[in-house]
Amino acid sequence: MADIKLEQLSKHYKRGGEVIRALDGVTLDITGAEFVAVVGRSGSGKTTMLDLMGLLLRPTSGRLLIDDVNTGELSDSERAHMRARKIGFVFQEYNLLASLNVIENVMLPLRYTKGVRDGRQRATELLERVDLTDRVKHRPGELSGGQQQRVAIARSMINRPSLILLDEPTGAVDTETAEQLVALLKRINRQEGVTIIVVTHDLDIAAQAGRVIRLKDGKVIADDAQVPAGAFASS
Amino acid sequence: MEILRNITRRKLRNSLTILGIVIGVLALTILGSMAENFNALLDGGVKYFSSSIQVGPPDGQSASLLPLSKLDELKKVDGVAAAFPTYGFSAKPGQVGAFTVGVPDTIVAVDPLENNWGNLRVTLAQGRQLVSTTTGEVVLGSTIAKEFGRHIGDRIDLPVRPPDAKPDFVNHTFTVVGILNTTRTAPDTFAYINIADGQTLLRDSLPAAISSAIDVSMITEGIDVYGAPGTSLSDLDRLADRINASVPGVKATKPSDIVNSFKQGGAFFTLITTVAAVVALVIGGLSVVNTMFMAVAERVREIGLKKAVGATTMNVMGEFLLESTLIGIVGGVVGYALGASITFTINALTPPGQATLFLVDLPITVFAIGFAIVLGAAAGVLPAWRAARLDPVTALRNE
Repeated sequence: MADIKLEQLSKHYKRGGEVIRALDGVTLDITGAEFVAVVGRSGSGKTTMLDLMGLLLRPTSGRLLIDDVNTGELSDSERAHMRARKIGFVFQEYNLLASLNVIENVMLPLRYTKGVRDGRQRATELLERVDLTDRVKHRPGELSGGQQQRVAIARSMINRPSLILLDEPTGAVDTETAEQLVALLKRINRQEGVTIIVVTHDLDIAAQAGRVIRLKDGKVIADDAQVPAGAFASS
Repeated sequence: MEILRNITRRKLRNSLTILGIVIGVLALTILGSMAENFNALLDGGVKYFSSSIQVGPPDGQSASLLPLSKLDELKKVDGVAAAFPTYGFSAKPGQVGAFTVGVPDTIVAVDPLENNWGNLRVTLAQGRQLVSTTTGEVVLGSTIAKEFGRHIGDRIDLPVRPPDAKPDFVNHTFTVVGILNTTRTAPDTFAYINIADGQTLLRDSLPAAISSAIDVSMITEGIDVYGAPGTSLSDLDRLADRINASVPGVKATKPSDIVNSFKQGGAFFTLITTVAAVVALVIGGLSVVNTMFMAVAERVREIGLKKAVGATTMNVMGEFLLESTLIGIVGGVVGYALGASITFTINALTPPGQATLFLVDLPITVFAIGFAIVLGAAAGVLPAWRAARLDPVTALRNE
C-alpha cells in the first residue's frame, strides 16, 4: 500500500496565448490500501492527475509525496526507478508489445529493476492469478481484449508495486469482461494490499470503489468515501 | 532476443539496410586487403633501404659497374661498419610476363653475411643458407620456389632460357639448398646465389668485347654500405654525404630519398582504404540512420510504455543503440566474410610464381568488422537519443 499526498498540485499548459489549467490546485490524501475511482467528464483533469501520480509528468506547482518522498526533488532517473519499484500502470489500449509473448510482456518491467530474483516464476504465478496459464507463449494479437488487459494487469504487478494506476481499464472491453476485470482488481486490492487508483467513465466501476473523487475543470468537486478506506484490505 | 525480433519484424527494410553495410564493408575489405598487400611490399622496401646505403657508379656512367677496390675505400670512411658487393640479374630475361604486383623474379648475388646487417632479414623455411666458398648453390624465395616447383636438392637452370634465346645464351645449373620463409616483399621472388656465381653471371651478361677485357672478379654492380647497428636514417644520410665527399667514382644515394618514395607509395594505398571507408560510411551510415529513425517513429507507444514501467533515458537509448549496433555487426560480418572469400579465391587462382593481390590480415579484419560495429553504433546515436527524449505521456497516447 502507498501513501500519496497531493498538495495544491497544479498542471498548466500553454496553448497559443491561452493557459490550460488541466489540474488546478488539487489537495488529496490517499492512504493505505484504498480502491479509488477518479471520475469526471473528458477534459476534467483525470488523466493528468493520473500521469502526475505516476510520475510521468512534472507539476507546474504544488507537491506530490509518495511514501513521504517529495517527488518534485527527484531526478528523471530517480523518478524512473520509483516508477519501476512502486507503481504499476494499466492503460485502456493495453499497450502490450507485439514482439513479445504473454510471459515476456509480463516480465518487461523486470528489465529495468535490477536484483529481482525468480522473475519468471513470479510472472507465471501472476498469469495463474489472472487465469492465463494456457496463453503464456501467445502473442498479444492472438488474445481477446479482456485477455490482453489481464496480461497488462499481471505486468503492472510484476515488481510488487504498492500503487497501481489504471487509465480507463475497461474502456475497450465488453460489460461482462469489464465486470471480471473489476473483480480481479478488487481481489488484488484486498489480497495484496495494493493501493488502486482507477480513472474511469464507467459508473459501475466507480460504484464498486471504496472512494470516488470527482473532478471538474481541474479541481476536486467531490471526494466521497463510499466504503471506509482499507475496507477491502481488511475484509 | 527482443532486439533480434525487432530487426526481423521489418525484414525487407532491415535487409536492405544490412545490404548497404555489406556493400560498404565488402569494398573496404577488398580494397583494404589490396592496400595491405602493397603496404607489406613497400614496408619491406622501407625496412631494407632504411638500414643501408646504396652505392653505385657516379651519375653519367652508363654501365652499372664498380671496381671492387671501392669496397676497401668505403670501409675506411668514418661511420661505415660494413660494405658488401651486390649483383642483380633478371631471372627470366627477355620474357614479357603477365601483369604482376610484386617484384619480378630476380637473381641476387650476395654475401650470406649481409643478412645479419639489414633491418629486413630473411629466414629459412627449409634447408640452409649459402656458403660463400661453394658455387652452384641457390636459396630460393617462397614465391619463386613455388613458381618453378623446386624443393631442397632439386636443380634449376638460371637465368631461365627464353623461348627465343640466341645461340650464345648461357645459363647455369644450381642446386637448391634453401627455401626462404614468405616475407610478402622482394625476397619472395629472389633467387640468392653467392658472389662468385654472381660474377660468373655478370661475365655472361656482358658483351664479349668487354668481358674479355676485364676481370669480373674485380668488378661489382653495386655496394651496400651499413653503419653500426642502430644507426638512424638521418645519420645514414650524413654518412652518404661523407661517402660522396671522400670516395671518388661512386654515388651514394641518401637512404631517406628512397624510403620517402616508398612511403609516398604507401600513402597512396592508404588513401584507397580511406576512400573505401568513407564510401562505406556514407552508404551504410545513412541507411542505418534512416532505418533507426523509422523504427523510432513506429515504436513511439512502445517507448512510452517502457518509460512508464521504469525505463530510464539511458535504458531506452541503450536498447536502440544495441539494435543499430547489431545491424552493424551483421552487415560487417557478412560483408567481411564475402570480401575475404573473394580475396582468398582470387589469391588461390593466382598462378604460382605471381605475387598475390590481396593480404587479409588481422589489422584489416579488425578494421573492417570494427568499422561496421562503430558505424552501426554511431549511426544509431541520433535516433536513439530522439527515442530516449520522447515525452512518455505523449508517446503513450500516440496514435
